[in-house]
Amino acid sequence: MKTMNWSILVGLATVLAAPPALAQDALKIGLTGALTGPVAGTYAPAVEGLRLYIDRLNKAGGVNGRQIELLLQDDASEPSRAAANAKRFLTQDGVVMLLNASLSSTYAPTIAEAKRAGVPLLFTAAACPPEVFPPADPNLFCTTAFGTEYDSRAALNFIKETAGTEVKIGFQAMAIPVSRGEIDYAENLAKGMGMTSVAKEITPPPAPDYSPFASNISSAGAEWVWSWAPWGSQIKTFEALRRLGWEGNYLAWAHLEAESELERVKDPGFYVLGANALFAEDLPVMQEITDAAQAAGAEYPANQMTEGWIAGMVIEAALASAEDPGSADSVREAMSGLSVDTKGLRGGSLEWTEENHFRTQQHYKVYRWNPESEGIETVSGWTTFDVE
Amino acid sequence: MQLAVNILVLAAIYALIACGYVLIYRVSRVLNLAHGELMMLGAYMLVATASAFSMSPVMAVVIAALMSLAVGGMVYLFLMRRMTGEMVLAAVLTTVALGILIRGAVILIWSAQQYHPRAMLGWGNPVITLPGDARISLYAALLIMATVVVYGGLFLFLRFGRWGMRMRAAGQDPLLAAQRGINLHAVFALAWGLSTFTGALAGILIALDSGLDSTMVMIGLKAFPAALVGGLDSLAGALLGALIIAAAEVGVIRFIDPLLADVVPFIVLIAMLVIRPWGLFGTREELDRV
Repeated sequence: MKTMNWSILVGLATVLAAPPALAQDALKIGLTGALTGPVAGTYAPAVEGLRLYIDRLNKAGGVNGRQIELLLQDDASEPSRAAANAKRFLTQDGVVMLLNASLSSTYAPTIAEAKRAGVPLLFTAAACPPEVFPPADPNLFCTTAFGTEYDSRAALNFIKETAGTEVKIGFQAMAIPVSRGEIDYAENLAKGMGMTSVAKEITPPPAPDYSPFASNISSAGAEWVWSWAPWGSQIKTFEALRRLGWEGNYLAWAHLEAESELERVKDPGFYVLGANALFAEDLPVMQEITDAAQAAGAEYPANQMTEGWIAGMVIEAALASAEDPGSADSVREAMSGLSVDTKGLRGGSLEWTEENHFRTQQHYKVYRWNPESEGIETVSGWTTFDVE
Repeated sequence: MQLAVNILVLAAIYALIACGYVLIYRVSRVLNLAHGELMMLGAYMLVATASAFSMSPVMAVVIAALMSLAVGGMVYLFLMRRMTGEMVLAAVLTTVALGILIRGAVILIWSAQQYHPRAMLGWGNPVITLPGDARISLYAALLIMATVVVYGGLFLFLRFGRWGMRMRAAGQDPLLAAQRGINLHAVFALAWGLSTFTGALAGILIALDSGLDSTMVMIGLKAFPAALVGGLDSLAGALLGALIIAAAEVGVIRFIDPLLADVVPFIVLIAMLVIRPWGLFGTREELDRV
């Protein structure tokens, strides 16, 4: 009798101590990202934003009553570690969606692993690979703000509207393929628009001193500079130019750090062009992100989490509209016809079709520091490009 | 003139970092491959002290530099000391592991975001206009001055200082030095402390000039060819090596192709290894030991 009582107690304890049934039904999503390493500053804040979004979603009941389990693995931008992470997510954890938030060198192994397992791969905070543009690879998707070639078209259009085509323009890139490719494209485009390209500086990642590169741009007489590179390279080249007494205008891509850097630099000749709205606009969704970051005691500023928050919105929409969110095939099918309201974080909804896994429209805004109002101002409202 | 200023600034950065490689190698024959990480750690210490001593910026810088000196000494006492008597390769691999540990710790403590210690301290970075309309930032000028002071101080210290002479003796013949009563562990700890201090000084000044993130570790690696070109056991060599590497790099950026900036230090290094493997001021005897 005593033995039976103990058995009942042990059985009861086991049942009580067991994780809730919901945890077993949780939808697993695996993210391999550059959470450490030299470029972590570009990716880690976005990943934190995504984590906060998923936490908030789970607290609100998850997607159709099912919790989402976000599995994070650091790849430190190393392809071999990204491949190992992807393999683990796909073979051991049984994820229904794989995410990549890392350097482009990690793309090939993660694409191969996701394809082999038949699990959709979403690039978030990482540069969108060419395969997501029309005609898109059925398995690859991207939410990241910047889009190659469209960014330079928007940038040069802005310079043309502001200064005309009779302008001497310089270019700045970092010595990584994606940055160089974009700046080569921009240089040809500028020439086609009648602008005079006077300098193209490709800086190493990183340079101990950016003055030698800035000297070339300055002495070439550039009136405008278009820079499309990791943030550190963009801002350090600009600051080196100013130290040399250069008085031209500098247009840079609005990475995660852009907002706090505009406030730090306080230079009206320093413009940033981007596809994400800055927190200076104080939209309700931005307050939501700020509240979530404060409540969680976030490591990074809320205004660097937009990319991750948008990825969270897209993941929620994809899982909610999938017939069977526990099936990767079903999730992929849902992703191939998705429309997500970004609540003003972007210039419009993020829409994917069978053929287009980047977005059907790409919107851009330009901001700069206004010394008179002592705040960030919008220089150019949303400009829209159809993605074909 | 601006070209000369650019060369001088870059040379000062490389020289200040390279002297850390030389100090440790000269005394203990260990190639410290964690030097870039220790340099970065020094700069992050400024971030910590800038928050703690925001009312006294100078104090924050001094304390960060002194903490680096202490960290260098502790790295020897708690880690590298255990490598004494082991193969040099084991010691070198230990420094690799140390570097990985520091990189991880920095991300854990300070995250991956960019810091601007100068703004934290409330300092500006005025531009100084030189003859010939060349311009240099205040912190770049301070970097050049710091390099002159550090190399001058080290020259005097090693030539005339009691502990400097002990360091030279330990480097030349550790067994004989120990038999003459020199405390080798104290000498090695001092070398590690001074090396980390000079590296951190470079890191702090670079961070004050242009900000700080975890990519700084790669700058430490870029200074390595300067030490090798000059000869790993020679401070004068490190100074000249830094000047050669900087002149080649800035010259290539200005006159050939900026894209080559990253590879030119290593091209110079390969050329030196082919012509004179022991470096400009290194000795054949040192190479034989390696």
